[in-house]
Parts: sequence; structure tokens; C-alpha cells
Amino acid sequence: MFKYVLKRIALMFFVLFVILTMCFVLVKLLPVIDANQFGKDMNLIKQRREALGYNKPILVQYGIFLKRSLLGGDWGISEALYRGQDVWSVFVSKIPATLMVNIYSMIFSVPLGLLLGIYAALKKNKWQDYVISTAIMVCISVPSYVYALLVQYLLCFKLKWFPLQMNSGTDWFTLPMFLSVVPAVLSLGFGSISSLARYTRAELSEVLTSDFMLLARTKGLTRAQATVRHALRNSMVPVFPIILGEFVGILSGSLIIEKIFGIPGVGQLYVNSITALDYNFFMLLSAFYTLIGLTAGIVVDISYGFIDPRIRMGER
Amino acid sequence: MKKISKRLLALLTASVMVCSLAACGDKDKEKPADDTTPTSTNTESTPTGTDEAAADSYTLNLALADFPTNWSPHQQQTDTDASSMLYYMEAPLYTFDFNDTMDGYAMIPGAAVGEPVEVTQDYIGQYGLEEGAESRAWKITLRDDLMWEDGTPITAQDYVTSAELLLNPIAHNHRADGLYANSLVLVNAKNFAYQGQYGQSNMISQDYADEEYIAVEDITVGEDGYFTIDGKDILLNIHTTGNWGQNGLDEYYGAYPELFVNNDVDWFAEILEPSADEDGYAKVNQEVYEGLRNLIAGLNGMSLADYEAAQGDYAFREWEEFCYYGENYPEMSFDEVGIFALSDHEFVIVLEKPLKGFDLRYALTSSWLVNEELYKQCESVVDGVYQNSYGTSAETTISYGPYKLVSFQADKQYVLERNDNFYGIVDGQYQTTRIQYDCVGEASTRLEMFLSGQLDSYGLTAEDMETYQSSDYTYYTTSDSTFFVALNPDFNALKAAQEALGANYNKTILTVKEFREALSFALDRSAFALAAQPTCNPAFGVYSSLIISDPEEGTTYRSNEEAKWVLAEFWGVKDDIGDGKMYADVDEAIESITGYNLEMAKQRFNEAYDIAIAEGLMDEDDIIEIKIGLPNNTSQTYAKGYEFLVNCYTEAVVGTSLEGKLTFSKDDTLGNGFADALRANQVDLLFFVGWTGSALDPYNLMTAYIQPNYQYDPSWDTTTDMLTINLNGTDYTASCMDWTNCINGVPINITAADGTVSTFSAGSSDGVPEERFTILAALEGAILRNYDMIPLVDDSSAGLKGMQIQYYSEEYIFGVGRNGNQGVQYLTYNYTDAEWEEYVASQGGTLNYN
Repeated sequence: MFKYVLKRIALMFFVLFVILTMCFVLVKLLPVIDANQFGKDMNLIKQRREALGYNKPILVQYGIFLKRSLLGGDWGISEALYRGQDVWSVFVSKIPATLMVNIYSMIFSVPLGLLLGIYAALKKNKWQDYVISTAIMVCISVPSYVYALLVQYLLCFKLKWFPLQMNSGTDWFTLPMFLSVVPAVLSLGFGSISSLARYTRAELSEVLTSDFMLLARTKGLTRAQATVRHALRNSMVPVFPIILGEFVGILSGSLIIEKIFGIPGVGQLYVNSITALDYNFFMLLSAFYTLIGLTAGIVVDISYGFIDPRIRMGER
Repeated sequence: MKKISKRLLALLTASVMVCSLAACGDKDKEKPADDTTPTSTNTESTPTGTDEAAADSYTLNLALADFPTNWSPHQQQTDTDASSMLYYMEAPLYTFDFNDTMDGYAMIPGAAVGEPVEVTQDYIGQYGLEEGAESRAWKITLRDDLMWEDGTPITAQDYVTSAELLLNPIAHNHRADGLYANSLVLVNAKNFAYQGQYGQSNMISQDYADEEYIAVEDITVGEDGYFTIDGKDILLNIHTTGNWGQNGLDEYYGAYPELFVNNDVDWFAEILEPSADEDGYAKVNQEVYEGLRNLIAGLNGMSLADYEAAQGDYAFREWEEFCYYGENYPEMSFDEVGIFALSDHEFVIVLEKPLKGFDLRYALTSSWLVNEELYKQCESVVDGVYQNSYGTSAETTISYGPYKLVSFQADKQYVLERNDNFYGIVDGQYQTTRIQYDCVGEASTRLEMFLSGQLDSYGLTAEDMETYQSSDYTYYTTSDSTFFVALNPDFNALKAAQEALGANYNKTILTVKEFREALSFALDRSAFALAAQPTCNPAFGVYSSLIISDPEEGTTYRSNEEAKWVLAEFWGVKDDIGDGKMYADVDEAIESITGYNLEMAKQRFNEAYDIAIAEGLMDEDDIIEIKIGLPNNTSQTYAKGYEFLVNCYTEAVVGTSLEGKLTFSKDDTLGNGFADALRANQVDLLFFVGWTGSALDPYNLMTAYIQPNYQYDPSWDTTTDMLTINLNGTDYTASCMDWTNCINGVPINITAADGTVSTFSAGSSDGVPEERFTILAALEGAILRNYDMIPLVDDSSAGLKGMQIQYYSEEYIFGVGRNGNQGVQYLTYNYTDAEWEEYVASQGGTLNYN
């Protein structure tokens, strides 16, 4: 197992290196268009680019990037999105808002999604199951920004239960701040609840009809005991990676939800960094998300072994 | 142990769920007023104070879709950086205010005392000033109560030091050109900013003035064989053709490689390209020079001998338009730059070219002042690259204007408070105590916030117009921009594009002027505006009604008789004006213009078809395909505009020879380079394009439509398109390019009807404003008659004004808007913040603005 993990980590760094190399080369290959500005000395822009080393051969620039950013930890200064500011500082200042909203959303949606899924599975083919399944299908089919606009209009504008926008400031753990993110949490949560409930219902329904469940009941366990001790655990094998995936997703934020509810997070950063050709920002975000994604993959793989001891990693 | 863990887990899960649900359920039980108004919610960064404070406070609540990111006076790039942040915190030397009659602007001293005083004669012999020089050196006196927000006095030396920091050669500050690239050109400012660098500049400027051309015999050939003049290298760039044309040399080489062979030498591939640096610059030698002259002749379809015979002297100097000077800018001291302090409150600026009156004061409405101490704290040099974070956060910002930044959270909220150390805080002005900007990306959210009393203004979108267009709270604001339909009539480009489409496709009909004219007549501009951007107004001329032709008096270009007659003539109503005719005067005639004449459009379509067939441009079974460029596929304005144009033109050709033959396609992936797509021959038509940013100088703005570096359609050769203008009763002829240069101060040769050639200039300092205006109006007519830039709509916006605030002027006036400086100077309030909160609550929390 230990050897397997080490091997995966080594492989992860190799993949990270390859992806970053591709990202660096591709973004540098994008054409830089300086549209003529009336009465502007365009040489200033060219001189600045020259000073930044953007006219050096791409491989030379990549060498500098590896030395300065990957090994030195200096991700440079933003030249387009947040001009003159350290990209790492900007990124770190924006991550908490994204994390907070998405963690609240997870806390809200994971238990609810699991419960609904379990309940629907236990009441399979009864009216409760039909109601839950129909609601799930509706929620999955409708994009989250539609919920967001509905939630904002009904709960915030019409009923005035919550503010229209998330509060400003960095006091993340106060009640006013919590209340101001409830609409965003609800909007993000509907999709996750539906997705988890659907998977849980499907897996649990299958497990509940398995032979070992019959055996569990015949050896004297109550239905609740058999469900909790055996059925739930087995059904979690495909569900748990989904929950882990959701956790990874929380770091990337939600472009639309953040925009609608005024969450000063990282949701729009990645796309904007490409549009604005902010190389330093783009590379930082590429490295960060690639690393998170690869780490999550390893964690998910390893987690299988813990959830279901029959699955052994690295065994031949 | 195992059981305990599971129970604990279950308990935790249940607790979390209960908490999550309780958070929703408790809301309507304890609904504090603060929860519904984020603007008054207490957080660490947005203290709102007590109710007592609210009783005396007047907060202006505004929202932006995108936030400022860098508002350093040396670095700021966007309008948001400047107008939504920087301008609140600076006091320019001269500024706009309402005039006495409140119907226009007046230019008044701001941080300066009185008018600039000319001191040119005191410095003759210094800074390159020669005897007879005028309007070149000016003394500016500062107010003695000018200070930073912390009370530190601002001195004249601060302005000098700030100029040095702005021009810092290693910083390459984005705004450095403010001291050398436009009307205000400090002596040696550019040389100081460029020092230590090898720089290139066009050998022949876009003025194409005779004195810029160099005789071949004056050129020095070095031992290495390369050409130099006065120590400067003569260069070509393989990716451009300098100011000669739009395409690159490499593009010509790709298309016509045979023209690059001279004396059996492929001079592009064998000499020029291998010696080019990474930016494409290569030195010129004898072979390249000869090859270049042959190339020009070849591109004109002639041998060099024939071309020399046809063009005369010009054939021997035209090659210089391709070229650049390359020179090393020497190290220099800032003492050589034309700005220095005389005392604590006086400094002098010395200019490379004369500037006076309104133009000088207007140039000084932009400030370069920074706080040296803070600025230096924000500096860093990493790996030899200069960085400066001045003006990127509340901590790196210091104000000397009416407001100071007290908090800034990127992409969320920032708050400005009144700066009581600002000299202009007097009774009757700056009643606003606090300005709060929220970042709200969605227009629908901004509207909901506005209706909930959380914002004091709201910019209406096309979707809102039906509901609010006739509201008493709706205000319309015309901008100085005119948007056009821009067409590409470049025959070679169109031919190549139609061949790429395959047989039986045609695009070259766009070169037929009657076809472009038909496209103009078929365009119902009012209906277009209604469909695509309801806040805009139909446009019929190159310049909108906000363009000022006499900034000293504030007279608009469109209010001038000659400008009116240009429109009357172009739109065919000129002969219907007069006693007993359809229109009593030219104003009435202009009022009647719609620009839409379907009958005329059909007639022109038929004529265009006949011409195209007769000239072999198209066959009878050809299908015309016009590709329209759009920046993206998400903008509703462009999507609706495209749909409108396609429908409008498809219906307009019904019943003509082109019925069923006119088709459209689109490229909606052009992104930020959208406006350049026509010049790059990627598309045949663009709409909602134009130029802005020179509302007080339409003479300079004319260059955007005439000079090839800026033209949307560079295939219109304005150097050969001759225009005859009547000046003082005599007709004079010159090229459109020459006339444009002439109204910008460049002497040109004009030819009278009897063949007499004379030199003429009508620049701002030449004292011939009437003739200058006549030429400008004539050039507008020439642009309109070319039908490659068809006026579409004048940019205009509409917004709702909140009930809490009161505008100073109902009319929007250039320079001062409706409320003076930054929209807050004379803004008043109907309610204090506390009263406003009560009022909104009394209305049920939602206000009615219908």
C-alpha cells in the first residue's frame, strides 16, 4: 500500500509537470493583439513586454518559470487582471469566500442528499419514492443559475428574508455573513442534493436486494441494523468518490453563482486569466487546480480500500 | 468503540442538518432590518456607525459590474480605474465646472491658482527654445491649501518628482506618454523615458510632410554597407510596411514572391529575413533599397522605369514610408526634462511644441501627481523587472481630492469618505459624506437592489426600456461616440475570400459604391436601435451632437451651419430648404432625416447589380455572401443587431435583381480583436464600431477616419482621393489626407482652380478657425460619400435616478455631467441615510419607479 501511494505521488508530479508544460506553451502561443489606441504610445506596451521577458524564446521563459515559480515559490505579479499585485496574494485573498460558500453548501447538501436517497431506496416504488425521484429529476434538469435567480428573486427581493448580495468584509464566521450566503448555498445545494440522492437511491436499492442482506436479516439483525451496518456501507463505494469530487469542486468555485450573489471568490479567475492573457495568474491557477485534481484522484483511489476492505490497492 | 463512533457520526450529521435547516427556518422570526440591506450590515471592513451618525450622513450607493484594479495615476488603464476611483481622489490643476448660465461648461483652476503664465521669453536659449518661440514655457502656481488627506502640504517639487517617477525609464509606466504623446509634450520627456533603449520610430509620419523625406544622397552608407542618417539606423520591419500600407512585407512576399527578386537575388529571403531581430526589424542596405523600390513599382503593376516616369520625384522617396529610424536613446539627467520647480508653489513646464489657451488647460486636467513616500514604499524590482503596487488597495492609496479611500475589497466593495482636507469642501458642494461601490455582476440584481433602495442609480438595459423608458426618474445621456456599419471594399481581399468560398460566390460587389449606398438606404436606424440597443439614437453624420468644435466657447460641431448643410446635402434634402419649399430652414430639414429610403435602396441595388455584371465582378447565377463580424455569441446587443441587419437587407432586395442572391454569414468568435477584423480582412462587415475619446478635438479625431493606421477600411486611399473645398470664394484641391493634416497644423500644398499651388495650414494656432471648420465639415462629407463607414447610431445610455438624491442640472453637459466633478460636487439629498431607510421601509421595502 505504502509503495503504491509513493508510486502514485511520483506519477502525480510527473503528470503535473507535463500538464504545466503544455499549459505554459499553449498560453504563450496565443496571439497577443494590441489594438491601436488613439494617441497612445504603443511602444510603452511593447517595452514593458520586453522587460518582462515575454519576447524571449518560450523555452527560455519556461526555464525562468520553473526556477522562479515552481521551485522558488514566486508566482509573479499580475500584468492584466490585477495589475501590479502579487498573484499569490490575490488568489489567497479570494479563496476564503469560495471555500466558505461551498463548504456550507456541502454541509447542507451531503446529509440531505444521502437522507433523501436512503429514504427513497427504503420506500422504493412507493409514493414517497416517486415524489423524491421526480423532485430529483427536476432539480438535475434545471441549471443552477435558474435556481439562483429564483432564490434571489423570491427569498431576497420579494420576501426579503436574506440580503441580495453576500456581505462584504472578511469576518467569515459571523451570523450576518452566514445569513448573507444562505441564498448562494441553497442555489448550489439543489444540484448536489439531487445528484447524491439519485446515486444513493440507486446503489442502496441494489444492495438492499442482495443475498447478503437476506443473510443479515436471517441471522437476526433488524432491518435498520442490516441497512446501516451492511447496506449503507456497501452502497457508499461509488457514492463516496462523488462526495470527494464535490469537495474538490468547492475549490474551483462557481462562476455563475459567485457572480449572481456577489461572492468575491475565485470562480471567474481561471477563465478571466486566459481571456486577459495574464500569464502568471493562469500558471498559478493551472498548477493549483491540476495539483488538487491529481491529489483528489489519489485520495479517492485510496479511499476505496478503506470503505470496502475487499478492494486492495497495489495488490497483484 | 465501533458503535460509539457510528453513533457519534450520526449525531454529528443530524446536528449539521438541523443547523442547516434552522438557518433557513429562523429567518422570518428574527428579521432585522440590516439583513435586508447589505449596505448597512456591520462587518469588519464596512463600519456604518451609529444611528446618530446616520442622521447626518449622506451615502451615495453605486454598483459596478467590474471593479477597478489599479488606479495609480501612472498605471491606470481603464475607464473604471479612472472614473470610478482615481478621479475622486485627485485634484487636477484645471477642471470643468458649470458656466454661469448652467447651460455649458467653464474651465476653471483646480489645484492651480489662476491661469498659466507664459514665461517662454525667460528661458530662450535653454531647453531648445529659440528666439521668437511662443507658448512654449508656462509657469503654474499652486494653491497654498493643497494637501494630502493626512494634512501634508503638496509642493511644486512634488509635481516635478512625480513627473520623474512617471517617466522612470525602467518602469515603462502605462501613462508615461501623457507627458509626450499628445498635445502636452514636455521637452525631453520621451528621451528620458526611452533612455538606454534602442527604439524605433516611423521614418515618415502619418503627416507625410515633405520635409520628412530624405534625399538619397544625404544618406550615409557605413563600412558594413548599412544605411544611416544622422547616426540613426534605417530599418525595415518584415511584419509591416511602416506608414506605406496595412499589410506586412512578409504577407506581400507570400502573395507575390516574384516581386522580391532583384538582380537574381531574393532580397527578402536571402538578406532581410535572416538579419531581422525578434521583432522583425532589419537594417537597410543598397540591395534592400533597390529591391524595395522595385517592389513598390511591381505592386503598382509597373516596371521601375515606368513607375518613375509616372510618379516623378515621389517614386524616389516613397520607399522611405516603409522604413523606421532605429536609435539608441542616450542616458540623460532629469534636469534636461522640461519641468522644474521655482518655489514651493510654482513650477514651470517647457514644451516641445506650442500649446496655449483652452488646449493647455485641458491638457492639465490630467494629473500625474503621486505621493513620493508611499510610491517608493510600493516599488520593487524582481529579476530586473520594475513593479509598483501604488494605487491597488486602501493601504497603497492616498488622496488629495474630495474623497479618500477607506476600504477596498477586490471584486466586492469599496468605500470612499469625504476628505475634509480637500480645499473644495465648502457649503453647497460635496454634500455626499460617503460613497459606497458594490460589485454586482448581474443587471437583474442591480435592478432589485435599486428598487429596494440599496442603490441610488441604475443603468437601464435594453430589456428594461419598455418598463422604464417614460419614467420620471429616467435620464438619458448622449455620449460622444457614433457607431457605424463598417464595410470592407478591398477588391483583392474580397476576391481572395470569394475564391476561398468556391464557385458562384461573390463578395466583390462590395467594391461597387452603389451597393454600399443601397445598404445605407435600406437601414432603418430607428428600428435597428429599438431592436438592438433601445437607449441609442439614430446617427446620420460622422460626429454626434456632443462633439465640441470650439472648446473655448463650448460650441458643438453639429450646431454649426456648415455641419448642418453637410448632412442636408448628403441626405438629399438640401434643395427642399427655403421659402415655399418643404422645409423652412436647415434645422427642420435635418429633423426630417431618417436615413431610411427603401425605394432608393432598391434602385441602388439594381444599379449595383448592373454595374457588377457589366464590369465582370459577378455572374448572373452568383450568390453574394457577406460575412458579418461579432465579438462573441453572448452579447444580446450584437446578436439582435445581426438578426436585424440580415432581415432588413434580405427584405430590401426583394423585387430587385439581387432578390434571393444576398446571403449572410457570421463570425462571432472575434473577441477582443473584433474591431481589427475588418482591417485584417477576416470579415466583410462590422457594426457597432467607431472611435471615441476626442470629444473636444474633432480635428484630431478626423485622423482616425482618414489615416491608414486607424481606418477601418484602409483600402480607401486618402492620399489620392482628391477633395475640392471652397475657401473664401476660391476652390482649392488637395487630397483628403492633406486636408486632414492641414487642420492639424501641418502645412500642405493646395491647388486652386487656375492651377496655382500655394502652401496652406489651418492648425489650431494659425488663427483661421472658420476655414478650419469648413475643411472639417467637407471631410465629414467625403467620409459619408465613400459609404464604407455608414453612420448607424449615436451612443446613448439611460439610467434611473434614485429618490434619495437630487440632480443639480436636468441636462447632461459635457465635462460636468449633471452634478459637476465626478457626479457628486453639486449632488444633493432628499433624505439623510436614516430618513432614507425609514422611507424605504414605509414603502414596504420596494420602491415604485414606473
